[in-house]
Amino acid sequence: MKLLTHNMLTSHVKGVTKGYPLLIKATEVKVNDVDFNPQFVCRMIPKLEWSALVEAADLLGHRQDLPSELVPDYEKNEDFLKKVHRALLEVEVIEGCLQCPESGREFPISRGIPNMLLNEDEV
Amino acid sequence: MSSHDGEDTAEQTSNVSTPEETDSAIITVYIGATVPTGFEHTAAEEVQEKIGVDARISKDRGRIYFPISTDKLFQVHRLRSVDNLFVVVEEYDHYQFKESKEETLMELQQLASKLPWSNALKVWELNRSLKKKKGHRKGGNSTRVKPDSEASVADTRQQELPRETSPAGGDAKTESVADPESCQQDSEEALPEARLIKFRVTCNRAGDKHSFSSNEAARDFGGAVQEFFQWKADMTKFDIEVLLNIHNEEVVVGIALTEESLHRRNISHFGPTTLRSTLCYGMLRLCKPQVSDVILDPMCGTGAIPLEGAIEFNSSFYVAGDNNDMAVNRTVNNVSHIQKRRADKGSSSGLPIDTVQWDVCNLPIKTSSVDIIITDMPFGKRMGSRKKNWDLYPSCLREMARVCRPGSGKAVLLTQDKKCFAKAVSQMGGLWRKVLTVWVNVGGLHAGVYLLKRTAAVFGQTPEDVRQPRGMAGTQMDERDNK
Repeated sequence: MKLLTHNMLTSHVKGVTKGYPLLIKATEVKVNDVDFNPQFVCRMIPKLEWSALVEAADLLGHRQDLPSELVPDYEKNEDFLKKVHRALLEVEVIEGCLQCPESGREFPISRGIPNMLLNEDEV
Repeated sequence: MSSHDGEDTAEQTSNVSTPEETDSAIITVYIGATVPTGFEHTAAEEVQEKIGVDARISKDRGRIYFPISTDKLFQVHRLRSVDNLFVVVEEYDHYQFKESKEETLMELQQLASKLPWSNALKVWELNRSLKKKKGHRKGGNSTRVKPDSEASVADTRQQELPRETSPAGGDAKTESVADPESCQQDSEEALPEARLIKFRVTCNRAGDKHSFSSNEAARDFGGAVQEFFQWKADMTKFDIEVLLNIHNEEVVVGIALTEESLHRRNISHFGPTTLRSTLCYGMLRLCKPQVSDVILDPMCGTGAIPLEGAIEFNSSFYVAGDNNDMAVNRTVNNVSHIQKRRADKGSSSGLPIDTVQWDVCNLPIKTSSVDIIITDMPFGKRMGSRKKNWDLYPSCLREMARVCRPGSGKAVLLTQDKKCFAKAVSQMGGLWRKVLTVWVNVGGLHAGVYLLKRTAAVFGQTPEDVRQPRGMAGTQMDERDNK
């Protein structure tokens, strides 16, 4: 699971209203090599929940000094964009789980695939 | 017999075997390509974009033609919307067939020695040497002579699909000739391998007014070709495949440039309903992925669509999801396979794609966070059932509308269950608007690819998005059953 995906995932357990962001508990993390596209990163940043990204990256030990809040003019800062690129696309949680912040329900991650299926009684 | 004047063929064929010396002169030939029916325009667009020429769409559906000069030949292998490629030897728009079968077949035989083979054969040879260099795709620089690993993967796993045919009345089967006469002489051609060339003829025939079958045409034409070139006929281990395509009055003679169909290129781990990559590509082009678009396939199966997207439209981000264990595992395996292949070639291997296991009717995705939804919906034939679709389709469309960005969002959905789909969409008029439909053929089934636009309506405020309690949906289905 990449952090870009994590940024969009939310808990949908019945009755939960504050199911975002999911807490990450990782037992295995991998870093890949993905082609850097500055335009991609630039345009993706406004679509993100920035604080959720930074917290998640921090937890996995890949924060790389990303600031808690976005600085203006980040579009021209290639150094910054490369760090965001790495956090979004290159860091991957292979084994672990995601936890709903409200209900505590855990969704396992195995082979990089989070299993978000709910049981009958949770829907 | 009228001849189409499109080509730039240099010489008449009086004494043609295969070229003895390598001509370095650049020539222009016509290339024919088979594409998934319905996506001819998409393919023509891709040709314009990647090769810079206008393609002509043939009356024979599923085929396009375009000119190319030999110095640019390698570009044809970058085309992602094409199943098969061939070089045109000759093309007749209005071939006047003789009255009787005997005369017609005799004429076809005579044709073999009169056709302008020379340029087409040069292109065939050039193409063969291109294919031997690994990495002709994506401009790779390796020149190691090594069997193309993509082809061998496709070989071991490829499920046999029937060849493209257009069933416009009568006999449209693919036939090949296996001439019983065995050729004993040594080859006189100075081919690099200095051995006898093996060939076969494949004939596709469609039309009501022909006096002959494709079998007969292939047999007689093939026999004459063999006489003329002194090649050896071999149905399975051939070097050259000659194509004889007859569609009413249009006759095209070509030489194949692709061995096995390119349509299963990305997939090494097949599932029961894996879509061919050329169809995936056509669907992706339809939704015009932009830089940083978030693209979801919520019923991804083996991941064919998002994987093709991650490779070809790689400035977007793909999330592939399915509820089925085997499906998500196959998707991950397919992604890994491609990444490993890229790593072996020395390029950065990571693809912009992720896989999640989820229920499409209850997506664990934030509202309004997705730009495009693209998926192959269960037809209800090999996967799921028609009965399930009555419930599934509206739930899907509703949930997809929720996660899709209002105003700018799009969906490209493939399904064969057109009735159910039409009903579901009409019920969702406040959230989805139909933009266009492309009719396609998927494994022999007539299906539609629907392009929908997400309306600007915010989810939660239209009557459609009031979720029905689980019990009620079941009741509705029972009522329908009892009628």
